[in-house]
Amino acid sequence: MAAVVPPVNSPQDAMAGDSVNSSQRRMEKIDAWCERWGDRFNPILVKETRQALKSRQFVITFSLLLFAAFSWTIVGTFSLMPAIYDTPSAPRMMFGYYFVLALPMLLVVPLAAYRSLEGEIDDGTLELLSITALSPKQIVLGKLASAMLQMLLYFVVLFPCISYAYTLRGVDFPTTVALLAMLTLAGILMTIVALFFAPLSQSRTGRVAMLLVVIMLLIGAEWVLGLAAYELITFGNLWANDLDQGIPIVGGVVLLAPALGYLLLTLTAAQLTPPSENRSTKIRVALLLVNASVAAWVSLGSMGTEAVFVMLYFGVGGLMLLWTLASSMLVAESPVLTSRVQRDLPQSFLGRSVLTWLTPGPATGLIFSTLNLFLIAVMAVGTVLVFNGQVTSSFTAREQRMVMQFVFAFVSYLTCFLLLVYGLMRSLRRKNNPRVEVGFAALVVVAVFASVGPYGVQLYFNDFLSFPYSSWQATNWVWTLSSILDGDDCSALVQVIGMVGVFGVCGILVMNSALVRPRRTATPERVRQELEQAKRGQG
Amino acid sequence: MKNEKGVKQSGKKFEVFEQTRVSAGDLDGMISGGDGLKERSIAEGKPHLGYSAPVHVRSDDCIEMRRLHRLFGDTKAVDDVSFSVKRGHVFGYIGPNGAGKTTSMRILATLDLPSYGDAFIDGLSCVNDPALVRKRLGFMPDSFGTYRDVNCREYLDFFARAYGLSGAERNQRLRWVLGFTGTEGMAHKPIRGLSKGMKQRLCLGRALIHDPAVLILDEPAAGLDPRARIDLRRMIRDLADQGKTVLISSHILTELAEMCDSVGIIEQGKLLATGSVDEIQRQQADEIELTLRVLDRSSEAAVVLMRLPYVKEVVTDGELLRFVFSGDVKDQAELLALLITQGFPVAECTSHRKSLEDVFLQVTEGLVQ
Repeated sequence: MAAVVPPVNSPQDAMAGDSVNSSQRRMEKIDAWCERWGDRFNPILVKETRQALKSRQFVITFSLLLFAAFSWTIVGTFSLMPAIYDTPSAPRMMFGYYFVLALPMLLVVPLAAYRSLEGEIDDGTLELLSITALSPKQIVLGKLASAMLQMLLYFVVLFPCISYAYTLRGVDFPTTVALLAMLTLAGILMTIVALFFAPLSQSRTGRVAMLLVVIMLLIGAEWVLGLAAYELITFGNLWANDLDQGIPIVGGVVLLAPALGYLLLTLTAAQLTPPSENRSTKIRVALLLVNASVAAWVSLGSMGTEAVFVMLYFGVGGLMLLWTLASSMLVAESPVLTSRVQRDLPQSFLGRSVLTWLTPGPATGLIFSTLNLFLIAVMAVGTVLVFNGQVTSSFTAREQRMVMQFVFAFVSYLTCFLLLVYGLMRSLRRKNNPRVEVGFAALVVVAVFASVGPYGVQLYFNDFLSFPYSSWQATNWVWTLSSILDGDDCSALVQVIGMVGVFGVCGILVMNSALVRPRRTATPERVRQELEQAKRGQG
Repeated sequence: MKNEKGVKQSGKKFEVFEQTRVSAGDLDGMISGGDGLKERSIAEGKPHLGYSAPVHVRSDDCIEMRRLHRLFGDTKAVDDVSFSVKRGHVFGYIGPNGAGKTTSMRILATLDLPSYGDAFIDGLSCVNDPALVRKRLGFMPDSFGTYRDVNCREYLDFFARAYGLSGAERNQRLRWVLGFTGTEGMAHKPIRGLSKGMKQRLCLGRALIHDPAVLILDEPAAGLDPRARIDLRRMIRDLADQGKTVLISSHILTELAEMCDSVGIIEQGKLLATGSVDEIQRQQADEIELTLRVLDRSSEAAVVLMRLPYVKEVVTDGELLRFVFSGDVKDQAELLALLITQGFPVAECTSHRKSLEDVFLQVTEGLVQ
């Protein structure tokens, strides 16, 4: 049998082979480098991107966006002919491009993110994910990152069109940047809102209702942002010149939007977290962050001339609403913690005294909430005292007293009602295991009874004739607060209610004094070994 | 609900219940407490108020359930279930629909919490250390849990990333899983186009992607054709041979009998029998059917047999005598010796032991909650 002789390569062939090999090696290196980078990304982002880019929804939206942008370029340009050569024509073109971009950014992408998270729950894949190494926060952030990536792709498509519009003059560079920044930020915020609503309801009917709510919110955002964009494009970036408008808006965007976004993301992750885990601490930290950002926002108002008290109204009003909702749920938390959660709690006396209020439980929730409500009241009163007289829109002495009384009365009433909710939930937990939302329902019931009860009784004894406000209506918070707003002096009543609240909270603190005592929860040997091994592995 | 008394009592002993174990949070009947409470309540026949066994006791058992309870309102989905599975064993979990199999498997998979009791994987508590348990656990629920617009390889790659695998290790695991489950040919096909059998293989692959020590498979053979079932059986046996511990639930009892080292029969949340298939058969089947071939005078032999205390329901069919025999092996030998000494020409003796299916029917009552 003849031996097979390998063909002798010519020098040219060898050189060509070398260059192929080297380019192949280079490609392999790039591939390995990309893979290493890919490993650092959130797995949800990788999966969602793969999924989204193959999905019919993306293909259709992308194609429609291209078509709409192209069509508007042709139609808009021709409609501006021949003035386009010598007159600034950017506003009309920019407005058209804004609407082409806003539809996917504010409607399609947030809705897709909502459906994606809802789909994980419906299809049972969320359960599969929850037993992997991914944390609920990573899951939510992965969904958000994927939505942002889609936004970026849509934005890139429209970028040449917006550049073209800019060259037509009439819309300056800062306005163009402000317009795009506003749209991007709104898109991200609306995606966070949509993600927050996705796991909120567990029943089918609830899901449909949630979807409708989300769609309405998105359409509302589209409308509001549309108006803002129209103002911005038509009249230019007025905020830069007018501090009284600019500070609240820019400050709100810089300070409040991230804090609220973080709170919503934390709440969404908490909804996906199993009940055996500590869901409360991160929410409490996020609430503190919102408090701090509102305080910073209100104090920014001092830089302007008029805005500080308007910002105070919005800031403190918003915080009170938020804390009414949050505190009722914190008070309704389960007092039972798994050993693992207990092991993570602070162990020393100092740690427990300072940080216990961030740990889960109804008693810590009550004290944490009342402390924060008190701080909000102090912030409001402090702002009034510091800035009154310094700005042109200052209060009269009567108005100043009214604001201070109103804030303290609200906080005092809420504290007293929270004490009742705490008691109600405690008795309810003996036979049931209610969700924290029941706490809010209990607060509503307590508040309604506290106001309607005395009013109904006095109305009955007064033969159903009208009667003036008296101390018998002390628990009627609606009447008391409206009396304060009408200018009546209810300081004595506010002090009494405040004292009741303070004594009640102190009582709860004394009853739960064990919470701050130093205590160690032993870590089982087996678990300790595992944790040490994991730590060594990471090292 | 009676158990609430326990909550109240344990609530007073806050320190005590914090130092013992608590089956956390969001439960219908949270029960916790100290040792003494539990001992007393069991003695009095009341619901248990505490858990006396130490939480983390080193054990060779890879899967262990201790006094597991799961209540949904008044319904006891799992009612005091305890069993353990040794490393490298396949444990079959048998029971009618609604018996509590899926609930207890979900607790093991750290997807649900027990109302009382605990489950352990490799000595780690599913309640207190779920994150450590998850690392060693592969779970395959009764639904597929797949994604749209993703192919098989991407699907497995995603779960590998989700379990924290990276680089060469991930690629190696992917290759192994695709090979083991026989899905290499399907790697680049979209999941939605796969048959049920292939989807089941893919889901088994997903459960195996991080090389877990324990596999929990909820009805993996449901709806599969005979060949796919045989393949699945082979794969599970291979996994057990590799040292993995498998807990599998199924309605196809003949398959379980062949595949499992031990089984547990559950009905209405209660574990009715547990052990190896032979043990359960022996425990439950105290009567067997014997058949004798007597070449001559079979009717007279039947009369002799009727006189024996452990023989009943003798049926004569020509040379064959069939009867229910409730004695042990010695009695069986004595019976044959008796017939032979009396001159009956006994040519053949065969016994028919009850199958797992018979045992299952005998143990369970077909009750559904």
